Amino acid sequence: MHLLRGTSWLLTLAALLGTATAPVAAAQEAERFEIRNAYVQLVNGEWLLDVRLDVALAEAARQAFAEGVPLLLRLEVEASVERRLLPSDEVVSLGRRWQLAYDAIAERYVVTDVKAGTHVSHATREEAFEALDHIGGIVIADTATLPEGQRFDMRVRATVEIGELPAAVRVLLFWRSWSRTTEWYAWQVRP
Amino acid sequence: MIRRWLPFIAGAGIVIWVTALVMLALTAEGPQRFGELYLAILLINVAGMVALLVLIGGRLADFVRDWRRHVPGSRLRGRTLLMFGGLAIAPLLMVFTFSVLFLTRGIDGWFHAEVRQGLTDALGLSRAALDLRMREYLDRTLGMADRLAAESGAGLYFALDEELRNSDAEELIVASAGGQTVAYIRAGIQHALPAALPADLLLQLRQGRPHVSLQPAPGGGYQVRAATQVLSVAGTHSPLVLIATYPVPQRLSDLAGTVQQAYQQYGQLSYLREPLKAAFVLTLSLVLLMALLAAVYGALYFSERLVRPVQDLIAGTRAVAKGDFDTRLLRPSHDEIGFLVTSFNDMTKKLARAREEAERSQAAVEAERAALAVILARLTSGVLSLEPDLRVRVANQAAGVILGVDFKGAAGRPLAEIAAGHPLLAELHAVLQRHLAAGESEWREQVTLRADAGRRELVCACTSLPGDAGAQGLVLVFDEVTQLLQAQRQAAWGEVARRLAHEIRNPLTPIQLSAERMRRKLMRGLGAPEAELLERSTHTIVQQVEAMKQMVAAFTEYAKAPEMHISELDLSALVRQVADLYHAQDPRVAFGLSLDLKASLLEADPGRIRQLLNNLLTNSLEALDGHQNPVIMIETRRLGDRVALAVTDNGPGFQDGLLEQAFDPYVTSKPKGTGLGLAIVRRIVEEHGGTVEVDNAPEGGARVRILLPATAREARRAEGRREKA
Repeated sequence: MHLLRGTSWLLTLAALLGTATAPVAAAQEAERFEIRNAYVQLVNGEWLLDVRLDVALAEAARQAFAEGVPLLLRLEVEASVERRLLPSDEVVSLGRRWQLAYDAIAERYVVTDVKAGTHVSHATREEAFEALDHIGGIVIADTATLPEGQRFDMRVRATVEIGELPAAVRVLLFWRSWSRTTEWYAWQVRP
Repeated sequence: MIRRWLPFIAGAGIVIWVTALVMLALTAEGPQRFGELYLAILLINVAGMVALLVLIGGRLADFVRDWRRHVPGSRLRGRTLLMFGGLAIAPLLMVFTFSVLFLTRGIDGWFHAEVRQGLTDALGLSRAALDLRMREYLDRTLGMADRLAAESGAGLYFALDEELRNSDAEELIVASAGGQTVAYIRAGIQHALPAALPADLLLQLRQGRPHVSLQPAPGGGYQVRAATQVLSVAGTHSPLVLIATYPVPQRLSDLAGTVQQAYQQYGQLSYLREPLKAAFVLTLSLVLLMALLAAVYGALYFSERLVRPVQDLIAGTRAVAKGDFDTRLLRPSHDEIGFLVTSFNDMTKKLARAREEAERSQAAVEAERAALAVILARLTSGVLSLEPDLRVRVANQAAGVILGVDFKGAAGRPLAEIAAGHPLLAELHAVLQRHLAAGESEWREQVTLRADAGRRELVCACTSLPGDAGAQGLVLVFDEVTQLLQAQRQAAWGEVARRLAHEIRNPLTPIQLSAERMRRKLMRGLGAPEAELLERSTHTIVQQVEAMKQMVAAFTEYAKAPEMHISELDLSALVRQVADLYHAQDPRVAFGLSLDLKASLLEADPGRIRQLLNNLLTNSLEALDGHQNPVIMIETRRLGDRVALAVTDNGPGFQDGLLEQAFDPYVTSKPKGTGLGLAIVRRIVEEHGGTVEVDNAPEGGARVRILLPATAREARRAEGRREKA
């Protein structure tokens, strides 16, 4: 047993050097992470984004979360205006992050808006995950940036990952594929 | 250009690599340090490793090539490499092994059950402490709800404000069962809006159960949320709920936060246990690998540096062995190797100087040897230098001439072997052997050598050559004194002839006249028998006196130095003329002439040459007296700048004892001979600067061979020498 423990690093090293391209499909079977729909609406001179996600994380991510590793949800938003004979003008490019962590003292699951500093706690993990399914009321621009009568293109992408790991560990865990990113969800906003 | 910048590039590379290595080690500690640069740092380390591998590969390839080619010093370098490598690698591997063991055991030690239990207990303790507070706040909230039940409208708000001021709550909300806010008040904030009420809270309240929970506060810390139904509020038909939020005391909140943070980090570490170990081990392995590679490269580099002076020394030694004493090595350092190199350079300097001196000495010896060779070549004395085993070392030209031997290529050959076909040398060798057998290494002797060509009188002097290890050989110096002795004899005989002529010729005429007078005076008075006796006696006297006169004339002729009358002469024509004359006198003698009609012109005294021919033919005729088939062969030939004349008869030839003294006066085997014929022949030949030899022809008979110079130059020289004498 001790021998096995002593040589485990060798096995890990061999795995790192030799199985960088190992298939990870098995770990991805149960997971699902995609944007179901998204839209913007103009409210009081501000464009508000509303995104609905389908978050069903793999067991590995859930286990990591259960053991106290926080999860990070990143949302990337881009808005661009088409121009004739020229590349589109990207007028909005922003990112927002939410952290989902378990508070062992309060025995609650806390979803924190990293930028705003606000958080909401949930009694169960499922409630917390459901809370991540719907993200709404994100101010992406005002009418000065995106005039009301202008046609523009929107696209949004979400990434979920196990957060706040040491860089060395993050590099080592790349082959475990614990980070997931959705495809770009794009649509056109017409006046 | 690149070589000049190479050290700076290498130095910069090393600095970057070491920095990356340190950063790599620090990064493994946590995400705060260089987290974003981790991949770049890893790549820099890998690049450094690849660069080291390339460098090591290059140096190893050089080393293997040298090893296979048996380049001097490659074995030593191999041993040094093994030693350095072993000294560096073995401790590194040991340190690595123990480090990995300690590391893995250390990380495993973080997750001992006691640690986890301790954390769990701390968590439970924190919760228990907070539970007391929560229960207390719930009781307060329940009391507050009872008091609020009697209020309605604006009174509810004022009552709520009153409750807020009288309690520790920081926020009070009265809402409907569906979550709609009826009244809201918060300490210190007048116009804030309440957050949406959680569904689980409302559900629990609708079920009639009070709610109390601990909530993470927005600014950190904790707060207690307590809620209950307000059973009967005046003026309302639907039940209302009261939600009160209480702050947890700062101290308790901080402690709970610390426990929560520790518990969370522990969980995270527990989850990352194996990856963390792998990360540390990988970092350690990278560092070790780099150190190993650096050690190997250092071993290669330093072994090369250490061995290079030795290689230079070996190359220098080989160059010296090949005779290149100009080899100088650069002093690599000021240590023992440097001292060795300096000593080597001093040695080559001294060797070069010694070689120069040796070359100078050799040149001097060569010059002296050349001078000696010239002297030997010019010497009229024969010089023969011999090894101790009588092998020829040096023989000069005069030795060859005197002994009739061509000494070219004779160096190193035994004297006995060379003497095999040369009788004069064989006799000299016998004399030498006799002295050596007698133990005489230094001797002087006048030696008479006898050969078909005649007798040679040599005055020899022999001495041994000194050497470090005894005698190094012999030197034999000899002069031929045959002609000198001959000349002395000739001079002596000339003097004898002159005195004889003078003493004998004077009384001959009175004797002859007296005999004739006696015969004339006495003849008349004598009878016939006495007269006949007188006549016969006086006639004999006169006849003998006449014969003695002729003999005296011959002596005079031999003794006097005649005046030469040089003119151009056709020797062949003269030979034919003289031969015809003699043939006419005695037709039974056959003359065989082999004459070179085109090349027998020479400058000579015709009268003397005619006398020479007369003497030779007279000798031959006298020798052939009584021969059944007398034949005289006369031959003339042109030999370079000389004309050869040979007269051969088929008579009895020279007697053995007379051959050596054939040219001496008064040496004859004939009863009537004066013994002056060949002596005069020799004198005439020498007067013309020529040479004469006598021997017996192989087929029998006497043979006289004469060489005369074609021009009168030699004759004039001979005349000059004679006059001086």
